[in-house]
Amino acid sequence: MSETPFKISIPDAALQRLQTKLELTTLPDELDGAGWDYGAPLADVKRLVSRWTNGYDWRHHEAQLNASLQQFTRPIAVDGHGTLNIHYVHQRSEVTNAIPLLFVHGWPGSFIEARKILPLLTTNSANHPSFHVVTFSLPGYGFSEAASKPGFGIKQYAEVGHKLMLALGYNEYVTQGGDWGHVITRKIAQVYGGKYSKAWHTNMVMGQPPQGDDAQTELSDEDKQLLARREWHRKKGMGYMAEQSTQPQTLGYALTDSPVGLLAWIYEKLVNWTDNYPWEDDEILTWISIYYFSRAGPAASLRIYYEAMGPHKTDAERGFADGAAPEIPLGLSHFPQEIVALPRSWSRNLGNIVFEAEHDGGGHFAAYEKPNELVDDVRKMFGQNGPAFGVVAGKSGYSTEGKSGL
Amino acid sequence: MAETPFKISIPQALLDRLQQKLALTTLPNELEGSGWDYGVPLADVKRLVARWMNGYDWRHHEAQLNQLPQFTRPISVDGHGTLDIHYIHQRSEVEGAIPLLFVHGWPGIFLEGSRIVPLLTAKSDDHPSFHVVVLSLPGFGFSEGAKNPGFNIAQYAEVGNKLMLALGYNEYVTQGGDWGLAVTRRIAQLYGGKHSKAWHTNMVFGEPPADFDLTTLTPEQQVALARTEGLMKKGMGYRHQQSTQPQTLAYAMTDSPVGLLAWIYEKLVAWTDRYNWTDDEVLTWISIFYFSREGPVGSFRIYYEAMGNETMPMQAFREGPAPGIPLGLSHFPGDLVVVPKSWSRMMGNVVFDSEVHEAGGHFPAYEQPEALAGDLRQMFVKGGPAYGVVPSKSGY
Repeated sequence: MSETPFKISIPDAALQRLQTKLELTTLPDELDGAGWDYGAPLADVKRLVSRWTNGYDWRHHEAQLNASLQQFTRPIAVDGHGTLNIHYVHQRSEVTNAIPLLFVHGWPGSFIEARKILPLLTTNSANHPSFHVVTFSLPGYGFSEAASKPGFGIKQYAEVGHKLMLALGYNEYVTQGGDWGHVITRKIAQVYGGKYSKAWHTNMVMGQPPQGDDAQTELSDEDKQLLARREWHRKKGMGYMAEQSTQPQTLGYALTDSPVGLLAWIYEKLVNWTDNYPWEDDEILTWISIYYFSRAGPAASLRIYYEAMGPHKTDAERGFADGAAPEIPLGLSHFPQEIVALPRSWSRNLGNIVFEAEHDGGGHFAAYEKPNELVDDVRKMFGQNGPAFGVVAGKSGYSTEGKSGL
Repeated sequence: MAETPFKISIPQALLDRLQQKLALTTLPNELEGSGWDYGVPLADVKRLVARWMNGYDWRHHEAQLNQLPQFTRPISVDGHGTLDIHYIHQRSEVEGAIPLLFVHGWPGIFLEGSRIVPLLTAKSDDHPSFHVVVLSLPGFGFSEGAKNPGFNIAQYAEVGNKLMLALGYNEYVTQGGDWGLAVTRRIAQLYGGKHSKAWHTNMVFGEPPADFDLTTLTPEQQVALARTEGLMKKGMGYRHQQSTQPQTLAYAMTDSPVGLLAWIYEKLVAWTDRYNWTDDEVLTWISIFYFSREGPVGSFRIYYEAMGNETMPMQAFREGPAPGIPLGLSHFPGDLVVVPKSWSRMMGNVVFDSEVHEAGGHFPAYEQPEALAGDLRQMFVKGGPAYGVVPSKSGY
């Protein structure tokens, strides 16, 4: 039996070492009145470090994660990269014919991003479809083993996700993803779409300005706001990407060795990329701890940037526009504070769009910030009256007893 | 007396804390066979950390650095109060030596300019001598840094000019590369003619003149341009981060000795040309950043202030009209940007243009001090293109 139940259990020695390091934290100063202009503010970081050193109880949060998420590990073979031990959450619905759904996270996300949508997606109701949900830690993240050689790119991440679904008995499935999850599920749709992956949904909607005649369309005020956000991110928010996609190892030393360094690096994004999400300190610290205590260490999580967007890649590859658009049905959920926010007219070439929804709040981590809205969209897409109803043969998402009338 | 002699004297408590942190160093793994592709190799970092913990003697190197004549003095900067500025000042025995201000960049430090000091101040019938001032830019080394936003190139230039005036050098020449180029160019724009009389740089760039026929590029020039393009694609992450979110980066760089080591070491290797760094040399360089008055973050902020306009990151190096005072260029083959000599004439009133040296990269004052000093001597030599720019201080 290759599947092994898994419970997070960070050794005491690791907790003690972290504590010792935290107690030796050395902080920089800050310019007067800097606010968020220069990066994560000193007052925030001081407060978080202070809580992390004194008050934050990892064991409590570890227990909560273990109680709420059924976790496993199993070996998955990847062509050219041997076998990797993959950590995942698998929650079946009580509805036998629930739709198998694979949720894929990105950076600086993790498997815990799915913790709110999981109970919603699996729940049984006559009014909406149910899902069997799988989410895995990308290799190099959470408690999955990392690749040990160069060249583990998007295709390989896609292979892991796909093979995991097959291993769990889900020959046909649908996917949901944002950030790297978008890129990876797009690759799954390209490589395994039709036969295995039957539809894909994303909350990180990418695209380019329309060419030719379509380019003449006037931009609405709303569009201009979206573009302003996108432009802000491009000008101010992409330093991390420039470094991670060119010199991930150089940065990796600092993020591995310094708890506060890792905290600030990720915290900046958790705030900048969300839509005024009311983070609690312990929530932040749990999120950071997943990276700090990850099986492969924080440096491994950076390498996907190099493999996918490094100096050796083409522009098309770096823009995630390589290859033909997938043909399987695609659903889009637009959240206004997504960092690559764009006018809706720019995303027509992403694929076979069958479902699209707009929201008036929410940012990059939609599953975490707006779980009800995201799940609602997915239910609508796959529900009885939805455009992707029945894409997985024999797995409509509904209980066969007491079927609701139309 | 505003000037105070300065000796580096890092408190023992800081040395002890550093050792405590080093003893707790946690290292990442590395992909098999990755070499330098993904960043600094693990073997290099392991070796340097081991040496830093055991064998590297900061007090010994501190004592050696203290053989350099160092001082501090308060310099006021319009809108930014008064900053305590650290510098090396070495006069030549030649009374009429030319006052020269050397300005480093990033990840440079005052140490970078220390090797040309004895060469430039030396007396000889065959070449001019200089009184040399090596400035620690605000936020670097043991200079105080700005406390408020908006401390931009003009402010760094103001510090350099005021320091020379405070030392009694009403007229002077400058040498600089990296940010030193931007700062000395601004000095030339703001104070040129009246105070700054000539400027020299080793960081040479430019675009092809309008009528330039690209098919005339020699194979060597093509290789150099391709190398520059490769370095730009591969090596600008640090700049992107420092110019947009320097504070975010600062937490890691302040808290982690190994993190800071890797961040800077990557450039000390990538940007030099066949320079055989010893481990202790690297560790001394890193230690100056680690123990600097403002910490590493002080050195990042110049990027934010001067490169905030990302559509033109090199704006600070090009804005405004080219200065009118005489300009000298030294070409080193291993620098980041290597362009055909004809392309760099647009940098200013070029009166001295060296041949491409045999060796040397981005830090030639440190890597090839003889070559750089030689170029400065040739530029200002009796009968040379900039001879006598400072009346009464011709160098002899």
